Amino acid sequence: MKNKMPAIQIENLRKVYSSGNEDVLAIQDVSLDIPEGKFVSIVGPSGCGKSTFLHIVGGFIQKTAGTVRIRGKEVEKPGPDRGMMFQESALFPWKNVFDNVAWGLEVQGVPKAKRKEIVEGFLKLVRLWEFRNHLPSQLSGGMRQRVSLARVLAFNPDVLLMDEPFGALDAQTREEMQVELQRIWSESQKSVLFVTHDIEEAVFLSDRVIVFSGRPATITEIIDIKFDRPRDLSLYKSSQFRDYRNHIWDLLHEEHHKPVTSTSEVVNG
Amino acid sequence: MDKKFQKIAAIEIIVVMLLWEGLAYFQLIPTYLSSPTIILAAMWDLIKSGEIISHMGASLYRSMFGFVVVIIIGVGLGILAGYYKKIGNFFDPIINAINPIPKIALLPILMVWFGMTDTTRILIIFLTAFFPTFVATRDGVRSMKQVHLWAAENMGASQLQLLYKVVFPGTLPKIFDGLRVSLGLTFVMMFSSEIIGASNGAGLGFLILNADLVGRTDIMFAAVAFIAVLGFIFDRILLKVRSKLLWWDLNQA
Repeated sequence: MKNKMPAIQIENLRKVYSSGNEDVLAIQDVSLDIPEGKFVSIVGPSGCGKSTFLHIVGGFIQKTAGTVRIRGKEVEKPGPDRGMMFQESALFPWKNVFDNVAWGLEVQGVPKAKRKEIVEGFLKLVRLWEFRNHLPSQLSGGMRQRVSLARVLAFNPDVLLMDEPFGALDAQTREEMQVELQRIWSESQKSVLFVTHDIEEAVFLSDRVIVFSGRPATITEIIDIKFDRPRDLSLYKSSQFRDYRNHIWDLLHEEHHKPVTSTSEVVNG
Repeated sequence: MDKKFQKIAAIEIIVVMLLWEGLAYFQLIPTYLSSPTIILAAMWDLIKSGEIISHMGASLYRSMFGFVVVIIIGVGLGILAGYYKKIGNFFDPIINAINPIPKIALLPILMVWFGMTDTTRILIIFLTAFFPTFVATRDGVRSMKQVHLWAAENMGASQLQLLYKVVFPGTLPKIFDGLRVSLGLTFVMMFSSEIIGASNGAGLGFLILNADLVGRTDIMFAAVAFIAVLGFIFDRILLKVRSKLLWWDLNQA
């Protein structure tokens, strides 16, 4: 750890949705620290507000109360200090792979030669340099998310926010992407806040798993995952992995017996 | 358009022309229906004398002037109205009130204000052609994927960069849908504005009006044919420009 200040510091975050004359409490005073360089996942029942939570950290959705700090600096709106990866591809269909990855650097005024150097580095990191002249529409779903990851890494944010980035992929591609993400993450040394509904994905990837309760979202439990890195897919078969998985499954399962306050969800998750 | 379809279209046109020519040749149809060869001869006369240049020039000047203003104001205002809720809210009632009016109904009013001048004609062309482009652009912006805007904001884009580097290219397919309708209307209104009012001056509409006065149906048909050719050429140009700019849109063409 480089310093004691957490990469992301969230204090008493609250979100209330007003629908008509009824207020729905989506997130209830959640406080959370993401340490520098750590991979932290949030799992929770579908519609619990974990995706909303991530969008608030990203600055895309307004919070009702509380504070979000990135390396000590309070944030209100989206900015390049946080790199957000969305569930659905956010690549621009009118730009090829290279120009998509270069986009953030371009708007920030990075000179062309420097841009090319950075883009080449990250496209090689995600193993898609040969596809630099392809359009996003010519790539598979897994490749598109790898380009998205390269694009986010290219503008060098302090932290990565990932909203079920592999949610739309088939099971096999998903596992490949998990291994890829781990490799890329360990090279980039970024702090990651990762949202997923897939318990195994969270256990496999994370140093720490935060379990959210159903709506309104509160933290049920924080679980440190103590596996060495690099991890490979055979980990799925280990008994310790299954213990983590079963424990989290039980925590989420208890949630199903709680009354649901609202089934509507503004952002999927 | 694939090759097979092009072939069928060509055969279809040739058959109709031959039929028309045959009926005229054997005097089975009245002379005021003219015939393809007579019309072609009239067109050739107009080209040879150079007369057509001034008519086409005048007509194209009016229609293209109107169309360029439609591109600038229709697209520009459409993007602002689609992106900024307040601007959209301001324009929506005005647009909704004026849109259903046949704009040609405003021609007499414009004539009172500006006389039977090019200003009047260009204005009526603009007023008619503006709406499809404006509405298509505005609705295109409103239907943009939220994640594209979020991703751009995330990467530190300024408001201006967001508008011209994300909203504009992202809406371009819809903009072209609107522009194509507007271009067609531009030619319709060019013609309409020229056949109403005084029959002196240049323009394809005037050419028809004058030919009517002297009973030359062949010239009337010839002028119509020239308008058809112009309309076709400009539509093709627009499609060419579109496929150039929208090379990335693999769904089109």
